[in-house]
Amino acid sequence: MQVSELGTRELRRRLTHAGLCLQTGPFRTRIHSRIPAVADGIAFQYRDFPVVPADSFCDFRCHLRAPRTLRRFHRPQVLFLADGRSIFKPLAYHQAFPMLEWGMNWCVANQTPEHLVFHAAALARGERALILPAPPGAGKSTLCAALAQRGWRLLTDESTLLDPASGSVCGPARPVSLKNASIEVLRRFAPEAVIGPACHDTIKGTVAHMRPPEGSALAAGRPARPAWLVFPRYQPGAETRLTPRHPAEAFMEMASQAFNYANLGRTAFHATADLIDQVEAYDFVYSRLEEAIDCFDALAD
Amino acid sequence: MRWPTDGTRDLARLLADPESAHTLSPLQWEGVVTAGRETTLLGTLWHRLNQAQCQTAVPQAVAWHLRGAQRVADRQAEALRWELRELQDGMLQRMAAPILLKGAAYLLADLPNARGRFCNDIDLMFPEDQLERAESLLFFDGWLGSHHDEYDQRYYREWMHELPPLQHQRRGTTLDLHHNILPRTFRVTVDAERLWRHSQPLPDPWRFRVLCPVHRVLHCVVHLYSETDWDRGLRDLYDIHALIGHCTAEEGAGFWDALISEAETLGLGWLLAPAVRDCQQRFRLPVPAEADRRLRRHQGLAALRPLRRRVFHYGLNTRTTRTPARDALARGLLFLRGHWLKMPPGLLVRHLTYKALHGDKDDPPTPQANQPEQHG
Repeated sequence: MQVSELGTRELRRRLTHAGLCLQTGPFRTRIHSRIPAVADGIAFQYRDFPVVPADSFCDFRCHLRAPRTLRRFHRPQVLFLADGRSIFKPLAYHQAFPMLEWGMNWCVANQTPEHLVFHAAALARGERALILPAPPGAGKSTLCAALAQRGWRLLTDESTLLDPASGSVCGPARPVSLKNASIEVLRRFAPEAVIGPACHDTIKGTVAHMRPPEGSALAAGRPARPAWLVFPRYQPGAETRLTPRHPAEAFMEMASQAFNYANLGRTAFHATADLIDQVEAYDFVYSRLEEAIDCFDALAD
Repeated sequence: MRWPTDGTRDLARLLADPESAHTLSPLQWEGVVTAGRETTLLGTLWHRLNQAQCQTAVPQAVAWHLRGAQRVADRQAEALRWELRELQDGMLQRMAAPILLKGAAYLLADLPNARGRFCNDIDLMFPEDQLERAESLLFFDGWLGSHHDEYDQRYYREWMHELPPLQHQRRGTTLDLHHNILPRTFRVTVDAERLWRHSQPLPDPWRFRVLCPVHRVLHCVVHLYSETDWDRGLRDLYDIHALIGHCTAEEGAGFWDALISEAETLGLGWLLAPAVRDCQQRFRLPVPAEADRRLRRHQGLAALRPLRRRVFHYGLNTRTTRTPARDALARGLLFLRGHWLKMPPGLLVRHLTYKALHGDKDDPPTPQANQPEQHG
C-alpha cells in the first residue's frame, strides 16, 4: 500500500496513534506526530512510497512534537525525538516538516547498522550509479534534483549507502532538499518538477523539498553498481569543466565524507578502496545546469 | 510517549533467557532494538543470542541491527586494545602499574560481559599521591586536560575521586584518572589501600592491574547506585549481573559470602542490597537463600523500602516504556538522591547554586551533529 492510498484521515490517524510505518528503500521509519504540517508534508512528498502495517518492525522511531513548556503558546517550537530522545535544539513550529527530513537523515547517518553511509547524493542510469559527494553550498542538491528530472533514477540526495559485502550502492530515494536560489533555478529548469511549499527563515534560509519522481520512489532501495564519482562545485559564470581526480585523493575525500567510517574500521577502509577501484573519479565545475546535464548524459552514453 | 510494548522488559528478559526470542512479535522486537540502542546493549544481546544458539529466532531486519552493533563493539574493542598498548608503552613505564577499571578491565580480563559491550573511554586508578604525577607524565604522550574552568578544576581535584577527564589530542579518546571508586565527599569512604592490596596483575604482555573479583563487582555496584544520571542504568545493571554470574560459576556459592562480607567491611551493604534485588528482578539472577537473608539486613528503613524499590525499578526503564511519567519522576528522584549522597548538604547547596548560575557557560558547545541543518 502507498501513502496516496491511505487518504488524509487514515494518514492522520496513524500518525497520532500507532505511528505511520514508512518504507524508504532499505529502511522502515515509524513516525508519530500530531502536527498538521507533518501530515501534509508526508502526504505530499511521500505520495508514492510504500506504507507497511502498524504492527511491523521498524528500524527507526521518530516523533515530532512541541516542547512541553509555556513556549507552546508563545512562538511555539517543535522537537524531533529519535527513540524517544530529543536529538536537536528545537526549531520554530512552522519548520516541522524540514525537521522531520533532517531527523530522518540523522537516523540514517547514526543508526544504520551495516552500510557504510556517505554524505553524498547518488543517482542511477540503468544499473550504473553516479555518486556526488560535496560540502553544503556546492550545488549538489540542485544538480541531483535536475538529474532526477532528466531520466536519472534518484537514489538519494543526502546519504549514499554502500553495502560492503556486494560493493553496490543504494539510497532511501527521499525528497530532495533545495535551498534559497536553487528553488527558483530548478522551477525554471524543470517546470514539471513537483516542489513543496517553501519554508522560510531556517538557518539555511528558505528550504523547499522536491518530491522524488514516481519511478524513483517505486524503485527505492534497488541497488546499482558505482560507476562515476564526481565532486561537483557550482561557481557563478564558470565554464562547464570535468577533470579527472586522482584515485588516492578521491579515496581520502570519500573517507572523510562517511558518517560511520570509524565504526566500521577496516571494513570501511576496504569498502571505500573497492569503491574507488570501481569508479571513474572527476572534479566538476559548473554554472549552467543544462550543460551540466548534457555532460553527465555524455558520461553515461 | 507511551509505547505499545515494554522494550526494557523484553530486552532484559532476552538477556536473561535468550529462548524467549521465539515468542516476540515484530513490534516487541522493535521495542527491544530501541531500548537496546539507548542502553548500548544491542551487541551484548547478539552475543547472548549466539551463545544460546537462538540467533535463528531473530527476524532478519532485527538481526541486521544486532549484528551491526556487535561489529561496532568488536571494532571498539580492537581500538581499545591498541590504545591500551600505546598507554603502557609510553610514559606510564616510569610508574608502577595502575589499575584498569570498568570496560577496559572487562576486556583485558576477558570477562563475559565484555563481548559486544560498547566502551569508548579508559579508566585508570593510581594511588592518590601519584595521581598528579601520572597526569603530568601523560601530558607528554598527548593526553590533555578538558575542563579549564577554575571551579570545575576545584570540583574534581578537591571533592571527587578522579581528575578532570583527559583527552588525547590527536585521537580524541577519553582517559579518566581515579584515585578511588567513590568521591571524597561521598557518604561512605572506601579505603583505597585495601583495593590495591587485593588487586591482581594482568597476564603478560599487559602491564596493568585489575581489581579482585569481589571489588570489581562492588565498584560496578557503587558506580550505578551512587549515580545521578541513570541513562544507561540497565547496561550497568547487566554488568553487575554478568560479573556476579561469572564469579559464582567460577568460585561457587562461596563468592556470595565473600562479596557480602566485603561489602559490609567497606560499608557498602546498603548499595549492594538493592543492586542484587534489581538483578534478580530484571535478569533473574539466582541468589542463594543465605545470601538473600544477609542482604535483607541492609535494606534500610522499612517505611521507605517500597518507595526506594519503585524508584530504582522505574529509574532503570529506558524511553521505550509504558510508564513515561513514573520513569521521569524516578529519574528526577535518582538525580537528587545521587547528589545528596555525593556531597554533604552545605557543599551540595553551594555546588548546585553555582551550576544553576554558571551552568550554561560551562556546558560544552552543542556538537555540530546536533544542529538539525547539518543533516540536510
